[in-house]
Amino acid sequence: MGILSMAGIAAALLPFLAFLAIVTFTKKYRNVSALVSISATGLSFLTACYILYSQITAPQQSSFNIPWMYIAGIEMNMGVLVNQLTSIMLFIVTFVSLLVQIYSTGYMHDDEGYSKFFAFLSLFTFSMLGIVISNNLLQIYVFWELVGLSSYLLIGFWYFKPEASDAAKKAFVVNRVGDFGFLLGILIVSFRAGTFDFMKVIDFAKSGAIDPNTLTVIALLLFCGAVGKSAQFPLHVWLPDAMEGPTPVSALIHAATMVAAGVFMVARLYGIFSLSPAAMNVIAYIGGFTAIFAASIALVQDDIKRILAYSTLSQLGYMILALGAGGFTAGMFHLTTHAFFKALLFLGAGSVIHSMGTNDIWRMGGLHKKMPITSITMLIATLAISGIWPFSGFWSKDEIFLALHNSGHTVLYYTAVVTAFMTSFYMFRLYIVTFMGKQGEHAGHAHESPLSMTVPLMILAVFSIFSGLVGMPGQPFNISNFIYFGEMEKPAGLNMTIAYISTAVALSGIALAFIIYFFKLVRAESLKKVSGPVYTLLKNKYYVDEIYLFFIRNVFFAITAVIKWFDRNIVDGLVNLTGWLVRQGGAQLRRTATGSVQTYALMIFGGMVVAMIAFAIYNPGLLTLFGGR
Amino acid sequence: MITLAHYVILSAILFGIGIFGVLTRRNAIGILMSIELLFNAVNINMVAFSRFLTPDGAYGELFTIFIITVAAAESILGLAIILAIYRNRKVLNADEMNLMKW
Amino acid sequence: MVELILFYAFAALIIFSAVLLVTARNVFHGALYLASTLFGVAAIFALSGSFFLAGIQVLIYIGAVVVLLIFVINLTRQIAGSSAAQVNEAVVPALITSLLTITLIVLAVLKTDWATRIGKSVAQTEAMDNTAVIGTQLLTNFAIPFEVVSVLLLAALIGAIAIVSRDKEAGK
Repeated sequence: MGILSMAGIAAALLPFLAFLAIVTFTKKYRNVSALVSISATGLSFLTACYILYSQITAPQQSSFNIPWMYIAGIEMNMGVLVNQLTSIMLFIVTFVSLLVQIYSTGYMHDDEGYSKFFAFLSLFTFSMLGIVISNNLLQIYVFWELVGLSSYLLIGFWYFKPEASDAAKKAFVVNRVGDFGFLLGILIVSFRAGTFDFMKVIDFAKSGAIDPNTLTVIALLLFCGAVGKSAQFPLHVWLPDAMEGPTPVSALIHAATMVAAGVFMVARLYGIFSLSPAAMNVIAYIGGFTAIFAASIALVQDDIKRILAYSTLSQLGYMILALGAGGFTAGMFHLTTHAFFKALLFLGAGSVIHSMGTNDIWRMGGLHKKMPITSITMLIATLAISGIWPFSGFWSKDEIFLALHNSGHTVLYYTAVVTAFMTSFYMFRLYIVTFMGKQGEHAGHAHESPLSMTVPLMILAVFSIFSGLVGMPGQPFNISNFIYFGEMEKPAGLNMTIAYISTAVALSGIALAFIIYFFKLVRAESLKKVSGPVYTLLKNKYYVDEIYLFFIRNVFFAITAVIKWFDRNIVDGLVNLTGWLVRQGGAQLRRTATGSVQTYALMIFGGMVVAMIAFAIYNPGLLTLFGGR
Repeated sequence: MITLAHYVILSAILFGIGIFGVLTRRNAIGILMSIELLFNAVNINMVAFSRFLTPDGAYGELFTIFIITVAAAESILGLAIILAIYRNRKVLNADEMNLMKW
Repeated sequence: MVELILFYAFAALIIFSAVLLVTARNVFHGALYLASTLFGVAAIFALSGSFFLAGIQVLIYIGAVVVLLIFVINLTRQIAGSSAAQVNEAVVPALITSLLTITLIVLAVLKTDWATRIGKSVAQTEAMDNTAVIGTQLLTNFAIPFEVVSVLLLAALIGAIAIVSRDKEAGK
C-alpha cells in the first residue's frame, strides 16, 4: 500500500476517532471536545496538504484494496483510491471543516449541545472523507448514506424546534429518493461488471460490454444520487429547509462539501457518464435548469440564509451543467472556488445573524460600520460569486462558459449567462440591503464577532481572492494540468469574447442592484406590483413543495393504502393462520390423551399390527400367500 | 401328527382373542383375565417350541414355569390395585378410571 | 392319530372358552370361562409331554389365580348386579386389530418351511415325560432364576398387602 493511500486512510479516520472519543469520554467537557475535534480535523488537514502537495509534484494514482466478500460472482472490497481528484477534495473538505469548527467555537459558544455539535461535525467530516477516498461503488454508497445521516443529525440539531426536525426528516427522505436510483444504478452496473471497483467498472463499460441503452439507463440512475445529494431539480426541495440548522452546518455541509458530493461522484464516474451522450445531455439540462430556476427564486427571498441556499442550488446547477457539457475541469474547478466563497458567505451570514438575532435582511442595514471585518469579507465573497475579475469566481465561471461554448450547447450557454446576471443581482441585493444604507431597527446592538469567527472569514476571503488564479493561463501550474479527464489538454487560452460577455453581464447585474436598492431610482415595491403574479410565483418557490405534498397525500397514500391492506390482512393473516393452525392441531391431538388405559393399549397393539404389516410388505415372500398357496 | 405349526397357530388365535379382550372389556377384572389369556398363549408357544427344538434341555418348559410364577405375582398385584381403586372411588369400569384425561 | 384328535378337541375347548370369556356379560361367568380355558391349556401341555407343567398349570393358575379372581370379584360386586354392556365402544378397532394379528402370524407360520428350519424330524412327537429334566435343570442350571422368582413372589405378596391394607383409623 502506497504512502498516499495510508495518508488518505489516516486523514479519513482521524475525525472518526475524534467522534468516538467525544461520544465516549468528553461529552461533559465542552472545551475538551472542541479541542479534540479541531485537532483531529487539523491533523487531517495537514495530511491532506501533504497528499495534495505530493500529487502536484508527482501525480500518481495510489490505491489499496482489501477483499471483503465474494458473493454470486461479484467481488466486494474495501479500499481507497488516491489520485488528483481525491487530493483536491481532501483538501477542500478538511480545510473548510477545520475553519467551520474553529468558527463554531464562537458561534455555538452558548449552546447546550456544544460537545454534541463537535461530535457530529467530526462524524460528518469522516463520512465525507470516506466518500472521497473510496475506491468502489459499494463503499461510496455506504459513506453516502453516512453523510446523509450526519446531515440529518446536524440539520435537526435543535431538535426541539419542530421546523428543524421536520427539515431534517425532509432532507433524509428526499435524499432517499435519489439514493434509490443511485443504488439501482450501482447494482446494475456492478452485476454486469462483476465488481464494484471504480476503475474496473469504468474499464468494463469502456470495453463496450454494455449496450448503449443500458449504459444510458445506468448513467441516469447513478445521476439520481447526484440529483438527491446535490439538490438538483426536482429533488432540490430539502436544501432551503435545511437552513433550519445552525449556520456553521449550513456553511460546511450545504455549501461546501456534502452537496458537492454529487458533483464529485459524477466526476469520479465520469468514465461511465461520458460514454452516454444522451445521459450527458440530461445531466447538462438538469443542471442548467436548476441554475436558472434557483436563481430566479433567490431574487425575491428575504431570509439571508434562504437567499444563500438558493444561490447554492444555482451554483451547483452550474457545476452539474459543466460536467454534463463535457467540462470536467470546469466543473471541479468551480466546485473548489465555490467551496471557499460559499462557505465564507454562510459564515459571514452567521456572523450577522449571531449579532443581530434575526435572519430577515430588511431588518438589517448599514452594518458595514458596526461589523467591518464581516462586511469586507462578505463583499469579497459576493464579488467572487458574481464572477468579477480577478476574484476566483471569475476564473471558474469563465471555464464553464468556455466549456459550454465549445461543446456547442448554445441554449445552455445563454441560460448560464442569464443566470450569471441574476446571480450578481441578487447577491448584491443581499449585500446592499444588509450592509449598506441606513441602519435598521436592531442595528443598535450589532457588534463585530469575536476572533474565533472573524479569523476563518479572513482566511476564506484570501482563498476567495486567489484560488482562482490556478485557472489563469500562462503560469506554471494550471488546474487543467491537474484535474482532467482523458488526456491532459493544454490549458485553453482566454477567450476574450466570452470573458467580456460574462463581465458585462455581471456588472450590469450589480448596476441594477445598486439602482434599485441603493440609489432607489426604481422602487422595489413598484417592481413588485408590476410583476404581480410572477412575483408571487417566485416568492412561493414555484409551489413545488405544495405540488409534492398534494401528490403524496392524494396519489401516493392511495397506493400505499392497498399495500397497507395487503400487509395487515394477508401477511399478518398468514402469521396468524400459522398460530391458529398450531393451536387447533394441538387441540385435536389432545384428544388422544383420553386417560383410558384401553385407548393406549389399542394404540400399542395397533402399532404392533402396523409394524407387522410393514415387515410383511418388505418380505415379499409372505405376500405370495395371498395369491394362493 | 401334530406339527409345530398346529401349536403356533393355536397360540396365535388365543393371543388374538386375548388382545380383543384387553381392548374391549369394561370391567377391570375382565381386562386382567384377558391378560391371563395372553400369558397362556405365550406359554403354549414356549412349550411347543421347546418340545420340537430342545427336548433334552426343556428350556421352554422352564421358562414357562417362570412365566406362570411371574404372571401369578402380577395378577396378585393387579387385583390389589383394582381393589384399592374400588375402595377409593367405587368404580370398576376401566373407562371411568380416567383421571389422566386431558 | 389319537393325539391329533385330542389336540383338536382341546384346542376347540380353549378357543371356545376364550371367546366366551371376552364376551361374557357377567364377570363371574367370565372367571369360570377362564378356568375352563386354563384347563384346556393344561391338557395341551400334557399332550406335549410336559406333565409336570400341566400339573403346575392346574395347581397355580386354576387353583390360585382364578380363586383369587373370584374372591376379588365378590369383594367388588356392585349391588345393582351386572350392569349394562360389558363391552366398551372400541369393539371394531379391537376386532380389526386382533384379527389382523392372528392373520399375520398364521400366514407367517404357514409360509415357514418348518422341516428345514427345525432340522430334526418332526416324527419325534412321542410324548415323553420331561419332569426329571425340569427338576434337574431347576436345581442346577436354573437355580438362581428359581431363587429370584421366589423372592419376586415374596415382594409381590408384600406389595399386595401394602396396597390393600386399610388405614387403622379410616373407617369402611
